Order: sequence, then C-alpha cells, then structure tokens
Amino acid sequence: MSRDSVLLSVQGLSVSFSMEDGIAKAVQDVSFSMKKGRTFALVGESGCGKSVTALSIMRLIPDPPGKIVAGGITFDGRNLLELSERRMRSIRGNKIAMIFQEPMTCLNPVYTVGNQIAEAIELHQRKSAREAWADAVSMLHKVGIPDPQQRATEYPHQMSGGMRQRVMIAMAVSCEPQLLIADEPTTALDVTIQAQILDLLDRLQEQNGMSILLITHDLGIVAERASDVAVMYASRIVEVADSRSLFAEPLHPYTQGLLKSLPRLGVSARRLRTIPGVVPEPLHFPNGCKFHPRCPIGCGDKRCQSVEPELRDVRAGRRAACWYAEGYETIEEHKDYESKYGEHKRVPAEG
Amino acid sequence: MNKQQESKVSWGVSYGEMVFREFVKGWLNVVCMVLIAFLFAVAILAPFLANDKPFVIRIDGRLYFPLFQDLRPNDYCVFLAAIIAGVQLFLVRRNRRRVEPSIRSAVLWRQIWVNTGILLAGVILLLIFIPRRLDATDYKAMVASGKGSGAIFAPVPYGYARTDLKMREQPPGREHWLGTDDVGSDVLCRLIHGSRISLSVGFVAVGISSIIGIAIGAILGYFGGRVDFVGMRIVEIMMAIPTFFLIITIVAFFPRSLLNIMIIIGITSWTDDARFIRAEFFKLRNQDFVQAAVSLGLPLRSILFRHMLPNGIAPVLVNASFGIAGAIFIEAALSFLGFGVAPPAPSWGQMLSLGVSTTGRFLWWLTLFPGLAIFFTVLAYNLVGEALRDAIDPRLRKAA
Repeated sequence: MSRDSVLLSVQGLSVSFSMEDGIAKAVQDVSFSMKKGRTFALVGESGCGKSVTALSIMRLIPDPPGKIVAGGITFDGRNLLELSERRMRSIRGNKIAMIFQEPMTCLNPVYTVGNQIAEAIELHQRKSAREAWADAVSMLHKVGIPDPQQRATEYPHQMSGGMRQRVMIAMAVSCEPQLLIADEPTTALDVTIQAQILDLLDRLQEQNGMSILLITHDLGIVAERASDVAVMYASRIVEVADSRSLFAEPLHPYTQGLLKSLPRLGVSARRLRTIPGVVPEPLHFPNGCKFHPRCPIGCGDKRCQSVEPELRDVRAGRRAACWYAEGYETIEEHKDYESKYGEHKRVPAEG
Repeated sequence: MNKQQESKVSWGVSYGEMVFREFVKGWLNVVCMVLIAFLFAVAILAPFLANDKPFVIRIDGRLYFPLFQDLRPNDYCVFLAAIIAGVQLFLVRRNRRRVEPSIRSAVLWRQIWVNTGILLAGVILLLIFIPRRLDATDYKAMVASGKGSGAIFAPVPYGYARTDLKMREQPPGREHWLGTDDVGSDVLCRLIHGSRISLSVGFVAVGISSIIGIAIGAILGYFGGRVDFVGMRIVEIMMAIPTFFLIITIVAFFPRSLLNIMIIIGITSWTDDARFIRAEFFKLRNQDFVQAAVSLGLPLRSILFRHMLPNGIAPVLVNASFGIAGAIFIEAALSFLGFGVAPPAPSWGQMLSLGVSTTGRFLWWLTLFPGLAIFFTVLAYNLVGEALRDAIDPRLRKAA
C-alpha cells in the first residue's frame, strides 16, 4: 500500500433533487480522487453542492427528493453506489466517518457523550460495553478534552460548542476510519477554537493515517492543511489542483476571484475585493458557462454564454473548466476589468 | 451548570431528572402523585386490606393461615412484582451514583435476577411451612361459635365475592363502613378490590395503545412519502369513528372479560399517539444528531428507538397520563352499562349502576363512594398529565 495510492475516487457524480417547480441539479458530473493519508479540500460558496457531494459518498442523500442520477464512487476498490444498504451500514462509521458543521445539534441530548461514543465502538468493533466505555474515555482524552473520565458521564448540554465538536470528532474517529469527511468542521466555532480543531484533525490524521475530505468555504484553512483542492461552483468542479500550485497560479476566473477577495497581511486595502453578482439558484442556472454572468471575461464572450466548458487538462497536473484557462494569466489583464469591476461596495461581514 | 463535586465522579443531570425536578415544584402535582401512589398501594395490598379470611387462626390447638393459603398465583405475582419494583427503584438511584454507565444495565439485570430469586425462594419456603389447607369458608362463624380462637382479620373483614342476603342494601354503619349492595357485599371491600381492575385497565390499555401508536407513528414519520400518505389516511379513518361506540360494538362480540376490555380499549385508542410520534419524527428525522447516528452506521432499530424515540416521547407520555384516566373512565362506563367485567368481579362502574335498586330505592352510598373513587382517580391522572406537559415544555412553563 503505497502512500500515494488512491483511496476514494468519484467519477461523473450527478445528483438531482426533484422540487415542486422543477428538478434541481445539485451536483453535476463531479469527478475527483483522493489519496491515502492526505487531505483533500472541496471549496466553494454555500449551495454549490459541496455537502451534497459529501452526503453522496456516505449514501445519505434523502431519497426522495434526492437521487444520484449518474456516476460512480469507488472506495478502496468497491463501488459504494452498488452496495446493499446492509453493507453500506458496516462501512459508515467504520470505514468512512463524517463530522458535521453544527456542533450544538449533532449530539443526542438524551445520552451522555460517553454512551454515544461507546455505542459506535460496540457496534463496529464488537467490544463489550465496559471495553467500549474505556475506549470512549480514551478517545475523549485523545481529542484533548480535560478530565475525560468525568466528561464522558456528562450530557451534551453541559458542554461548550468547541467541546462538542471535539466529542463529535472523537465519535467519528473512534473506529479509526480510513476516510473522514469533515463538512465545514469549524464554521460554527470561534476563530481560536477553529485552529485548535484543525490542529487536532491534523494530529489524528498523522496518528491514524486516515484521509480527510475537508469541505469548507474558507480558503485560508485550505492553503495550510490540504494537499489537493477542488473548487466547486454552481454544482460543478471548476478547478482541481494541488494546493500549492492552485494558490500560486489560479487558472479559473472564479478561483482567481476567490483568492482576490481574501484579506492579505501587509497589504493595506481600504476595501476587500468581492466577486460581483450572486451564486445562481440551482433551478435557474444560466446557459453556457455558469460563471459567465459574474465573470469579467465571460460576460462579454459569445462562447462562454452558449457552451459550457468541460473540466479538462490545461497542463500537467492542472485541470480547469474554463475556455480561457490558458489565455489569460490574470483577470486584471482583461480590458474590461477595471472599468466594470474596479469599484465595489464592500459587503458587510456576515452575522 | 452547577455540579456537585463531593464524589470523585459526579454524573450529569439527565433530561428526565430535569423534568422530574420541574414536576415536583408544584404542590398539586405532588398531591396527585401521592394520591396515585396511594391507589397503587391499595390495589397491590387489596387482599390484605379486605378479606373475609383471617391472617391466622387457631383451631383445635393448631395454627392455620387461611389468607395466605387461599391467595391465588396472580396475587403472589403482583406482590413479587411490586416488591421487586420497589427494591429496584431504590437500587437504580444507588447505581446512578456508584456504578459507571457502561455496565449499569448489566448490573441492573443481575440485581433483578438476584431479587427475583430471593423472593421466589421466600414464597416457596412460606408455602412449605404453611401447607395445611383448611376447607372452611366462614371463619367468623367459627370464631363466634368458639371453635376457632386467636383469629386476626384484615381491616375490612369481608370478601368481595361474599354475599349476605340478611345484610342487603344496608346504609353505612359501624359494621359496614360504606354500606352494602343489593346482595349484601361490603362496599368498601369491593371498592378496594375494584381499584385493581381500574388500575390494570388503565395501564394495560394505555400500554397496548402506546406500543401500537409508537410503532405506527415511528414508521410513518421516519419513512414519510407514500407510506405516510396511506398510513395517515388509515389513521384518519380510525379517528373518524367514535371510539366509545366502536368499543361497545366490539365488546358485544366477545365474552365479558377484563383482558378483552383492556385489549379492545388499547386497539381503538392509538391514533393520537401515532400522530404525535409521527409529527415528532418528522421534526427529528432531519436533526443533525439523527444524521450523525446514521452516518455512524447504526442500525435502523437503534436510530428509531434509541436515538429518535427518547427525544420524541414527551407528548406520548403526557397523552398516556390522560389515556389512563380515559381508559378508567371507559371501563367504568362500560361496566355501568353492563358491558364490563362480569358481576362477582368488583368494578367501580358496575357498583355505580347498582345505585338504583330493583325495588326502586335510591341507594346513595352505592353512587357516592364509587363515584368519588372514579372522580379522584381520573382527576389525579389528568392533573399529572397536565403537569407533565408543563414540565416538559419549557416555553409553556415560562409563559405560565
């Protein structure tokens, strides 16, 4: 088992939700592959299909209304989409585990946290109740909860958000999964806690050698932790690369826009850059390239408006879904850019 | 959170305990709980409170224990269950402080087995040591004639099935505290034994209806979609039929026995429970912790009944309290109309119906005392249900 062997590969995944006023294509033709023991980041704005992709890997899409229309998900040599529900249950929690965005609601309020961790251990590792409890306590210790003996006997409402997220992580990694899906693990937490939680994930990854699928909208996290990055926009992957080259030289205008809108240390800017416009709704995607109404190149380009570009190899190790991925090194070079998008109102911070 | 630090590990406060603490804050709730506990005690101890056989009697120089000899096996079962339940209640509280949660259930089961064993051994020993059977029936006559001596009788020394035609329709007096009915049976004795029927009807019927309602509601709520659509239409059809008339109709087809009445009340009153559980499961299905449980690969059984049910059981518990009151009431009404348990068995409703005798006299003590018993029992359960609802719903609590 070499370190670079592929653990999970998603090929041409498409997921649709049938709504009252049409079919929402939440994920379209998404393909990527993850290596063993590495962190793969899936980046994008809210509603771009990141979480749906993650839930598809766990086969947790609510059906109806959701449905995996096409594609395959190969995990450790097996196509997950063809497994029986029974086999899938033995994979969930055991081989693939997931941590959720909202730590306040992801623990069952009627059981002690120790019980909740122990239940999964009992189930998947066939241990006795006493051993599972001991394991649960040591898991709590491992994720850095002080006084785990005491904390294991407490109920979720007696814990803070960061603490609960640690419990959630302990629960997820208790059976030493090969793949951990972290769906915006730090979004609901304080900035100081965020770093701690991410460091914890790094440490656990080093200890267990598991792969992490990190789903986030925070590019700052991605640069530090992920080895590979896929950027999603409006249900498609628009760019895939290893994180070093992606941050050094983004090829897709959307990625470029995202990086531009990050604040930078040492650069004094009175306003943060933003990408103009809003993410299109899944029921009303524009024709052609879905980014073209917001794109400084595409908004005036016939081809961008009519034909949707496929994700293609631009050069070695770089894939992007843009007609102009080779043509424009940066957006600023485009003649209309400053005149159209030079001045933006700064968007007030959320919350 | 203020947690006590006196022991080395202090267990957290569970949701159930918080509800209980909120519940006992109201004095009326406590009064109702005491009333219900009193009814339970009366029902469990009925053969010792009202019995025409003495605990002990000396005949021809030998001691006999007629009361214990003539107890039926199901009486012994009730005592056993009550004693075990009492001991376990005490032990559960102690376990919570002393035993770590992982092995609590194992410890609990061991304690239950040990207790059952001890009690069974005790009962068997008792039966061995008092094996002498006496075929006499009228011990009071034996005492009066001087044949038996040293007899100790129960506080109400009458049997619920004993008739005494010389003492028919006696108003309350020194001999019969609450009077006698049309065949000369003691009213107080029949009231005491009737509490057993009321309580068992209440709990068994509600148990049956809750189990059916929870199972159906859980399936409808969790799966939703088409299953839910068809299921809810069936529930609505059930709800459209007036329950009481349905029960009367069904009762007409079956022999008049207590068990039949319990089952019939149970299978006709599950619709509310099913609707409550369905609504709760709809809400819970999309909760993160349920998603997390699914993503941990837990089996459906565990997700439905371990993770979702305890979070959605509150309305069913409240409804159960009202349901017990309702079932007691329905049983009384059925018995009053003559569809209930067959006459020698004592039922409050049936006693009530004897209030107007065949001679046309109005026997007020036969109406008043069973009526009061029904009234206070139903009231206590309703108030407990109300208080439970308030204790469970924090928003309601703050508003009140």
